[in-house]
Amino acid sequence: MRRSAIFATLLCATLVRADAVPIGYVKNVTGNASVVTAGQSLKAEVGSPVHVGSVLKTGPGASLGVTFKDETVMSFGPNTELTVDQYLYEPSQGKLRMNSKLAKGSMNYVSGVIAKLQPDAVSVATPTGVIGVRGTQFLLKVEE
Amino acid sequence: MRKPWSVLLFLAGVTLLAGCGSKSYVVLLENPDGSTGAVVVKGAKGEQVIDQARQGAAVDGSAKPAAVAEADIQRDFSSAMAARPLLPERFLLYFESGGAQLTAESNALLPKVIENAAKRPAVDVSIIGHTDTQGRADQNEALALKRAQAIAELIKKKGLKVHALSVESHGERNLLIKTADETSEPRNRRVEISLR
Repeated sequence: MRRSAIFATLLCATLVRADAVPIGYVKNVTGNASVVTAGQSLKAEVGSPVHVGSVLKTGPGASLGVTFKDETVMSFGPNTELTVDQYLYEPSQGKLRMNSKLAKGSMNYVSGVIAKLQPDAVSVATPTGVIGVRGTQFLLKVEE
Repeated sequence: MRKPWSVLLFLAGVTLLAGCGSKSYVVLLENPDGSTGAVVVKGAKGEQVIDQARQGAAVDGSAKPAAVAEADIQRDFSSAMAARPLLPERFLLYFESGGAQLTAESNALLPKVIENAAKRPAVDVSIIGHTDTQGRADQNEALALKRAQAIAELIKKKGLKVHALSVESHGERNLLIKTADETSEPRNRRVEISLR
């Protein structure tokens, strides 16, 4: 009984504050990297949560790897800045979307379930163009 | 007189390409499973589709996709590629009809699930329960949750420390094998585990 109460509580928390649920986690870091969420910058560590709106940043010589709920895998080289603008992953309700923005730097992108189920809902914007992700692995570099 | 001009033009072309290569660009790679997908580039200067692995294009859409030298890939992306996390892994566990009892075969798979999960840094696990279409939909919703919870319990009992865990039910709404209602189908009585 106690256990199901805990599950129910977790479920309610999920429903009420959907924005507070992490959409992914940092899996590896070398050098100086940070996750900026709601204006608050935290040093990136293995297990650091990533939320909708989070900005992922790496400094000179640094790198960072992140895995998202839908199994999208992103990793970044040095001097990189990526914002996760939109993220919706509720396959049972057909709500699927993932839009990010690479302002500068380099990344390796392996698309996940969202791109598989709804390829036109996944993109990475850059200052000069937008990449539409059709279920694939790719590399992207943005020079300022 | 014609020749020097064409050489000059050729050199100008090479320089332009090299110039593009050093700025903002995208390169398609093979997928981890060996297949190749596609990316669409939409910029102020045009739209390009890249569907060949190791081909790339400028992000502004100005030029058709072209092969990208391995040396350029290494120069620009070796750090990002080296930082790629372990790719997520999925398991399907199957159940006997009507309850949360694993089939013998799936029960034997559990140690492998635990072993692989334990290798992952800050492992994030999702467990989704499913049923076949036999029985009422609302009862199946509850049964699928019971199955997912049973697996979560088993995993915890074996001492796996998870960084994050989500347990959900999809009831009979997400069939692996499409069937009519009131159909017993062993492959639909399952729990899906995603290790990230």
